[in-house]
Amino acid sequence: MHPTILMFNSTIIIILIILIYPIAMTLNPAPMKKDWAATHVKTAVQMAFFVSLIPLFIFLDQGMEAITTNWQWMNTMTFDVNTSFKFDQYSIIFTPIALYVTWSILEFATWYMHADPNMNRFFKYLLTFLVAMIILVTANNMFQLFIGWEGVGIMSFLLIGWWYGRAAANTAALQAVIYNRVGDIGLIFSMAWIAMNLNSWEIQQVFIASKEMDLTLPLIGLILAATGKSAQFGLHPWLPSAMEGPTPVSALLHSSTMVVAGIFLLIRLHPLMENNQTALTTCLCLGALTTLFTATCALTQNDIKKIVAFSTSSQLGLMMVTIGLNQPQLAFMHICTHAFFKAMLFLCSGSIIHSLNDEQDIRKMGGLHKMLPLTSSCMTIGSLALTGTPFLAGFFSKDAIIEAMNTSYLNAWALTLTLIATSFTAIYSFRVIFFASMGQPRFLPLSPINENNPAVLNPLKRLAWGSIIAGLIITSNFLPTKTPIMTMPHMLKLSALLVTILGLIIAMDLTNLTNKQFKVNPNMPTHNFSNMLGYFPDIIHRAVPKLNLVLGQTMATQLVDQTWFEKTGPKGAANAQIPMIKIINDPQQGLIKAYLAMFLLTNALVIIMMLY
Amino acid sequence: MASLGVCRWARALSKGNQQRITALMSGARAASGISKDTLPGPYPKTPEEKAAAAKKYNMTVEDYEPYPDEGMGFGDYPKLPARSQHERDPWYQWDHPDLRRNWGEPLHWDFDMFIRNRVDTSPSAVDWPTMCKHLFGFLGVMFFLFYLGEKYPAYQPVAPKQYPYSNLHLERGGDPNTEPEEVKHYEI
Repeated sequence: MHPTILMFNSTIIIILIILIYPIAMTLNPAPMKKDWAATHVKTAVQMAFFVSLIPLFIFLDQGMEAITTNWQWMNTMTFDVNTSFKFDQYSIIFTPIALYVTWSILEFATWYMHADPNMNRFFKYLLTFLVAMIILVTANNMFQLFIGWEGVGIMSFLLIGWWYGRAAANTAALQAVIYNRVGDIGLIFSMAWIAMNLNSWEIQQVFIASKEMDLTLPLIGLILAATGKSAQFGLHPWLPSAMEGPTPVSALLHSSTMVVAGIFLLIRLHPLMENNQTALTTCLCLGALTTLFTATCALTQNDIKKIVAFSTSSQLGLMMVTIGLNQPQLAFMHICTHAFFKAMLFLCSGSIIHSLNDEQDIRKMGGLHKMLPLTSSCMTIGSLALTGTPFLAGFFSKDAIIEAMNTSYLNAWALTLTLIATSFTAIYSFRVIFFASMGQPRFLPLSPINENNPAVLNPLKRLAWGSIIAGLIITSNFLPTKTPIMTMPHMLKLSALLVTILGLIIAMDLTNLTNKQFKVNPNMPTHNFSNMLGYFPDIIHRAVPKLNLVLGQTMATQLVDQTWFEKTGPKGAANAQIPMIKIINDPQQGLIKAYLAMFLLTNALVIIMMLY
Repeated sequence: MASLGVCRWARALSKGNQQRITALMSGARAASGISKDTLPGPYPKTPEEKAAAAKKYNMTVEDYEPYPDEGMGFGDYPKLPARSQHERDPWYQWDHPDLRRNWGEPLHWDFDMFIRNRVDTSPSAVDWPTMCKHLFGFLGVMFFLFYLGEKYPAYQPVAPKQYPYSNLHLERGGDPNTEPEEVKHYEI
């Protein structure tokens, strides 16, 4: 075996062993040390990160990608299921990024969750999630991907409902599971279609065997799966509700890693989508609708975590738009850069929340740039990266996406919506910074504001470095697989920057105009629409279950019996025949002669017929 | 029915200590099964029947309202207002705090739908018709505009390639002595 492939294979096995070892340690009945989470779990992830750099450097040096098939799991005469790992550009870059972000978040969580009696279990859940995510991104067949997919879904459920004594947390966890399940229907449908028609779940065989086929059905299934997992419009309410979980969970799962799994699936299986215009248009329009709708919802939220959650949803919509433009590599780049600054925004939120004694309402924060200088600086850096400030991380991916949009042949309304959403991004980012760190303090005087713990500072600094230079590093080292269009008019090239600056100026103007208003919440239809998330959760979460349950109850207790006894069975037969009987009965009253005549006539007819 | 049989058997067995043993036997079965007079009955037509039904369901006669008799098989079961348990006072000391219900209170026909994990009928900040209008109106407008966007897509203008030097007159093998024809180039 070639030594490079051997190294690839060894590194993934080493990474998985390093990550699974702490989980296996918990099976020991002896109680764990109090700082097991900090010493074992965080160190394991740190080591795994450095090991994962090996395949990355081999790829950078030699451009080598590998597929290793390890174990023949369930092989029949006609269908093979093996454990196979794919080390292509996507998994080689994503694994170190995921591990780096997780390392920072775990270090932060040692501070954030230190008062929690079950901190060790919390870290075990996060580690299990990480293992499932790595299985998902390195999978070379649909079955292994599905294992990772379900794994991250289950861990999401357990982690959102971490504080299970809270009814809202339980409801949110259940909501996440149900919405993800609807998406899973699509994934399972696609897997079934692929297994039936292409006779394999290995990605290479799927690509080759599907060259001339009409793939609309499995692609709709895959898009449904991405809609569920990546919170696109229609299956999006679970993501803001998932903020019931602790902030490290929101930072890891619901911004950087789990929610991008849907987009990652579409990126992996992109060759299936390249030639299917229906699927591409669906992705484009769905992504554009999502990015605008969730950006609109983010404008009037007052919970800092919800704003960042909607920001995540909006960026996921942007990634979906990029896939609809037939540019999977740009979408992947946005996944990578987005992981850094979004995780950092969540960690900053967590730092603020804990410092203000668990206050999450931005209307009760203010003036924190003096009290929490590093946190507010990092929040500003993260927001600048998010809005695509030139030469920070987000610029390289976001600007590239907008340029690709401007120079493509696409739905004009999708283009408009994306540009509007880009300006909204600037507006709500400025809103967060304005309320949280600018102005006069609005929090209680005796708040435990502190930034003296390295467990908080180091992750923020690391992620800040990532938010600044990650875009440059990734762009410099990885060639685009599709030729980008480099010539365009000045306005098109600057359009992303212009709409962002426009949004920022509007936001600043509004703060000047409205900082003297006396009514806390305006009672305007547009404000209500935005604040109540477009009324989507209120309508759907009430109407759909009510319809299902009432229909189910009525059918089970009343309609089944009514149908079989009264409409079709004994009574039904009787009711069907009574009108006929009534019609025939009336003429047949007392006509004895007529009866005799009819009797003899019909008798004669029967005898004649029998003779012949 | 089983309790009746056992009672008779117990009575037969215990000629002497009749009271105690039958009480013991029937006492062991006291909590089993619903007796016939507490089950729902047919639709009440007369006011006396209505009063009896209200008493059976532990309600006052003014509150009691049966479902209309339209062949759906409700009988005399009361038609309670369709309010979910979300709307009940969370701070009151209910007998069953998780269900927000007291002992003996009549259950709604769709009680299992109205528990706190399921359908919520509590009033929303904006009323239902307005919410539906706004959301579905927004979606309708969006879909219509997406349709228009598909019909009139956005793209960069394209044009045939324009060559310099009079459309490359000499390179294409043109006669160097003759004057090439004027070629007008256009700007996009």
